[in-house]
Amino acid sequence: MAISKEAYQVLESIVGPEYVSADPAICEGYRAGPAGYECNLGYERVMTRVPGCVAMPRTTEEVQRLVKACNRYGVPYVPYSTGFYGARSHPHVPDALLIDLKRMNDLEVDDKHLYAVVGSGVIYSQLQEEAMKRGMYIVIGGGGSQVSAIANMIGDGWSPLSYRIGLPHRRILGTELVLPDGELVRLGSLAFQEDPFWGEGPGPDLRGLLRGFTGHRGFLGIVTKMAIKLLPFQPERLTPTGISPDTHLQLPTNRVRWINFTMPNKEAMRQVMVQMANAEIGAGVTKVPIFWRVIARAKSKEEFWELWSKETEESIRNFHVLRVLLVGFTSAEQLEYEERVLMDIVKPLGGEARRTRPTDESWFKNADSAGMWLMCGGYVSVDYVIETLEHSIPHGENYAELKKDYTPPLMPDYGDPGWFQSFELGHQGYSEFLIYWDPDEDTTGVDHFYLETSKENIRKRFYTSLLGAHQPLYLTGPAYGPNYHLWLLKVKQEFDPKSVCHPPVPLAHDEFVERAEWMRPLKDWEGPQVSPKP
Amino acid sequence: MPKKEVSLDVTNVENFIFDMSRCVKCKGCTWVDHIYMPGVKYSTRCPSATRYLFDSYGAYGKMRIGLALVEGRLDYSDELLKILYACTLCGACDVGCKRNLDLEIELTLEALRIKAVKDGRGPMPEHKRVAQNISEKHNSLGAAHKNRRAWLHGIKPSAKADVLYFVGCSASYSHPEIAEATARILEASGTPFVLLPDEWCCGNMLYSVGMIDEARELARRNAEAVRQTGAKTLLLSCAEGYRMWKVDYPKILGISTADLGFRVVHLAELVDETVKKGTLKLAHRIDLRLTYHDPCSMSRLSEPWAPWAGERGLWGVVDPPLQRRRGTHGIYQPPRDVLNSIPGIQLVEMPRMRENAFCCGAGRGTKEAFPDFAAWAADQRLAEVGEVGAEALVSACPWCKGNFAQAVSRNQASLQVFDFSELVLSAIGGEG
Repeated sequence: MAISKEAYQVLESIVGPEYVSADPAICEGYRAGPAGYECNLGYERVMTRVPGCVAMPRTTEEVQRLVKACNRYGVPYVPYSTGFYGARSHPHVPDALLIDLKRMNDLEVDDKHLYAVVGSGVIYSQLQEEAMKRGMYIVIGGGGSQVSAIANMIGDGWSPLSYRIGLPHRRILGTELVLPDGELVRLGSLAFQEDPFWGEGPGPDLRGLLRGFTGHRGFLGIVTKMAIKLLPFQPERLTPTGISPDTHLQLPTNRVRWINFTMPNKEAMRQVMVQMANAEIGAGVTKVPIFWRVIARAKSKEEFWELWSKETEESIRNFHVLRVLLVGFTSAEQLEYEERVLMDIVKPLGGEARRTRPTDESWFKNADSAGMWLMCGGYVSVDYVIETLEHSIPHGENYAELKKDYTPPLMPDYGDPGWFQSFELGHQGYSEFLIYWDPDEDTTGVDHFYLETSKENIRKRFYTSLLGAHQPLYLTGPAYGPNYHLWLLKVKQEFDPKSVCHPPVPLAHDEFVERAEWMRPLKDWEGPQVSPKP
Repeated sequence: MPKKEVSLDVTNVENFIFDMSRCVKCKGCTWVDHIYMPGVKYSTRCPSATRYLFDSYGAYGKMRIGLALVEGRLDYSDELLKILYACTLCGACDVGCKRNLDLEIELTLEALRIKAVKDGRGPMPEHKRVAQNISEKHNSLGAAHKNRRAWLHGIKPSAKADVLYFVGCSASYSHPEIAEATARILEASGTPFVLLPDEWCCGNMLYSVGMIDEARELARRNAEAVRQTGAKTLLLSCAEGYRMWKVDYPKILGISTADLGFRVVHLAELVDETVKKGTLKLAHRIDLRLTYHDPCSMSRLSEPWAPWAGERGLWGVVDPPLQRRRGTHGIYQPPRDVLNSIPGIQLVEMPRMRENAFCCGAGRGTKEAFPDFAAWAADQRLAEVGEVGAEALVSACPWCKGNFAQAVSRNQASLQVFDFSELVLSAIGGEG
């Protein structure tokens, strides 16, 4: 047994013998890799460890007691909701306790005030279905329907539907957080009453601390309960149809409609996004990367490659499909009105509506992020930027150019510049750059590209919203801060003086660069002296 | 990248290293297809992961554990064997994975059990007793072989016919009402049938727990016995046996389902055909609000088998192309069509249905080695039946019926449990 017998007995007394185990087979089942987000890369191989013990609490009180026990016995711990966020949601040091939160799966909807209170084990598709049963909806982030709603809300998960609903952190209401030392903090209205209807205050808004740029990946405690704002939807049901793997939601066409447009160029797509926002129409809008289209058409990995190999730099350069979602939230007439306005916007810009199926496969209930691994076996969204729409196009093009130096091992994508869309009714533009590789190949180039993108953001002044876990803190902190890194470490030290909560995050990527010899030649910044460890 | 030779041969677990090393923990194997997600209740389809909760009991854990075992990083232990065997092999994980990643999860789990047996660590002690029953008495239940046809009660099978009814151990001994109802339905539809002169166990349990050599021996013997009768159609009323004959016999004999030399048909398919042709009339009214439980082996696990061998190269692409079995073409609609055509029956669906159905917990060696787990799984399903307000639960497998009936009795519930054959018999006005 990796942790002391005494500590184990205490853990057992907290959750009960059925819900704790240090058995090697049980712990092996919690290994991060070999596949998954950021897995099969150097980071996963160098930095992750199989846990020494796993415990599954049921209540916030049990979480508090587990955390306090970890502080008492010097046991490092990692919160874990579904494990989908790859390497970074798994232990980085030997003999850690993995706190699996899946039993915390309570869900309660307040129909009157339009919010749901969920535990850490509740996933998005469960929440979406419960919301839709009651005429409401949420955004299922690109992380997928299978991710913990709480983890994704903290980490800012988004989708084309974020165009109207907005970014997730705006929808975090009353929240319960077990700090790294076991103390309970209640945010928003939960601080002074049982009703979690309000998220802000009292005093400074602690949700910023909770979230950081895109979540702290479990190094500042454990969120055990969160009230999430739901938004009113239209009243008709989206009907599930089909048999796996071809399942989809049949849309009520008088109320919900996707329309794909062929546009002459990217600028025209951007113009549509801007004008849609000015007219305040639409429920979602995104550029469709040709890659998604090929994935959707292919019936197998082999067929994907057959189709994909027919593409060229020219076909990619000239592929401009814009996908718009219209919802008649208040009435069928609203949808008709919005469609007329949309056509008035699109036609002068040279767009043509294409036939679009009255179904949804990917955004309302089944954000099938897992399919991203089908084609190559290795995938990561290497960079996301939330800035302006003007900014999002050159960001993708710039990365496509940089990527050429790393292809192979990255898959040939003929200069595909990634994905961009409009957020929050055009107030923000979003760009995301995805990369794929074969895990059985030498992945050194992928590790290097990952780091080079961090540097490229600094060199080219692409503001990135992902100043967090996957970039060396001492590289990005001074550039964006100028002392963001020091501030973050002081926060960490204040709340986690024994460094038991997911060490060595937030310095994990810094440590990876130090420990992986193939990464050292790229290090041209001043690093930290030591990483905090328990 | 050098290409690797690979096949679907379950006797060599190395064929599935790719599948074990590509799981991304999306847990599509455990959750109901998100499009069909019914909400916070009844949201999972994997009994093992739902009961034991640790990730290690989900396919994502088993893939990691299997890989560690194959690579010599982990040794057998009681817990590891429980992880391998406290699993219904119901195919829910396989269908879920093939929604997105197309990994061969079911075959990997079968290969891991075969490896455990080869390594001298599997199966579970209870399975060895079943294997002994099969060896000594030709049935998995340990009943007297001479009583195998005791269910006939005056029914006279033909001496020669195109249809051979393979009754199976459970219907022969534990649920004779199913065997009798099946025979009477055949009579009513004007379908002459024969029985095997000396029917032995199909070997489902042997194959399911990894005893591949013993299972193959039975497969050879039974397949040859059927061929000798000249029957063109092998009919089963047992879903487990249906899968064994249609999928696993070809799999372990190295042939395709089409090469068996006869067609394998479940009673639900035959009744559906005969009702639609008009040769069987379901005229008698049955006033009942009922729900249908898809037996795993007749639904998501039942697509025909074809051997495949080839090479895997860059990006994991295989050559020649592989026709993957994704559960799409399981026998989902025929039993529903039949039940819906019975006057008076109101068929309501449970939240988890078809490829998302939650296994009853009885099959593939689970109930023998982990009876508490099997009972728990049945209880989960009964709660779901209660949710839709059904008066009766019908399935198309004696193993499902037995496990559900025990759960009803244990819970002192008023729910009626039927096999498909019994309702059809009532609908044609017959008596069991």
